[in-house]
Amino acid sequence: MRQPLYILSACSISPQHSYDAENFLNPVVTTDDGKLRITAPDYSKYISPVAIRRMSRMLKAGITAGMKSLEMGGVTTPDAIIIGTARGSVTDMETFLKDMINLQEEALNPTGFIQSTYNSVNGWLAMMTRSTCYNQTYVHRGFSLELCLFDAQLMLSESQDKKYILAGGFDELTDEYVIIRGRIGYYKEQKLNSLSLLSHNDTSGSVAGEGAHFFTLSNNPENAACAIHTVQMLLKPTSEAVQAAIADMLAQNELQKEDIDVIMCGMNGDSRSQFLVDPVVNDCHEHTTITTFKQLSGEYDTASGFGLWLVNYLFTQKRIPEEIVYKKGTSTRIKNVLLFNVTILGNVTLMLMTTPPARP
Amino acid sequence: MEDLKLKLKQQIIDSLNLQGMKPEEIDDNAPLFGDGLGLDSIDSLELMVLLERNYGIKIEDAREGRKILTSVQTMAEYIQQNSKI
Repeated sequence: MRQPLYILSACSISPQHSYDAENFLNPVVTTDDGKLRITAPDYSKYISPVAIRRMSRMLKAGITAGMKSLEMGGVTTPDAIIIGTARGSVTDMETFLKDMINLQEEALNPTGFIQSTYNSVNGWLAMMTRSTCYNQTYVHRGFSLELCLFDAQLMLSESQDKKYILAGGFDELTDEYVIIRGRIGYYKEQKLNSLSLLSHNDTSGSVAGEGAHFFTLSNNPENAACAIHTVQMLLKPTSEAVQAAIADMLAQNELQKEDIDVIMCGMNGDSRSQFLVDPVVNDCHEHTTITTFKQLSGEYDTASGFGLWLVNYLFTQKRIPEEIVYKKGTSTRIKNVLLFNVTILGNVTLMLMTTPPARP
Repeated sequence: MEDLKLKLKQQIIDSLNLQGMKPEEIDDNAPLFGDGLGLDSIDSLELMVLLERNYGIKIEDAREGRKILTSVQTMAEYIQQNSKI
């Protein structure tokens, strides 16, 4: 078994009030226009007025979530900054490309260009923490965050000393981005309230979402709320392959099906990927509670980050909010949790999380 | 000259997204960088783009650029003498 990733702290900026975990889901944020945009917190605590005026929405959200996660974890300078994003700073990219067209490639503004790169959030976080450590960005569509966690796990496995890694993911939506992805069937054509997304799984597409989710990770369990033991990615699997992968994962961690207390299920309401979801939901043990999160976050490439934040929330709050329960199980404990995420393209990611080992 | 300075201040505010600031709050002779408006190196690039796009002025010599971008006053004087638009 690889080195577990202990989550010391987590911060999420999502369509819900997740930034202020005390008021999470109070109230539940919904939309009827197919776009779940982030609920923006006050960014001024972490970003200076001079810097903030140049930043796009998701740049501000990514930096703030990263800095707050470090602060909550009591880490000033991390040993690595590893981030996953499928699209990077889309707003800045669009600004720059539009300028190129409108100004015929003459006298282009530098800010859009500088901040349109995928690694601008990494760069800002490194500057703000005065960190010259390992700094990496993974850009692999629906596996971006998972590869980032994979890298963090490998890095922590290699170290005998205590190490702290800031890891996370972000992706944003823009109106044009939704139009383009909508043309290739990513989003539902019918109008619906986002909260009812999962009951519309007889039609294709989902609801667009966005968010920034950051985690302070360590190889030291002290003060950790939960541990990620295994991260697995499955490229366009069959439903049998998903079942087999879950069984293998449980066996590797010496767990039985009935030991899973919660499955945090990233079903997205898309009829084309429902065949991957149904067997997992129907065949789970009666102990297991199935919870869902994409009716709250919307669908995007790094949406599993919101799922991961939510699992950490369950461990820290020691309760499951009614709003996310899809199928209630008989177990009342929260000890072993499986995060099962499905993307629009039919890819699957699995993460097994448990409570950290008790102190001797 | 006064009209030009007022127009230039508004262009600086728009270009650099100086939210909440009004043209009359920018002193003609206050330094743009450092203590005055507190602009930085990326802003200097934005100001050079502003001059090129709105006045047809291309600054190619960095030393000359530093003198031109000292304050609103120096920018306005240079624009008055060199504007091609």
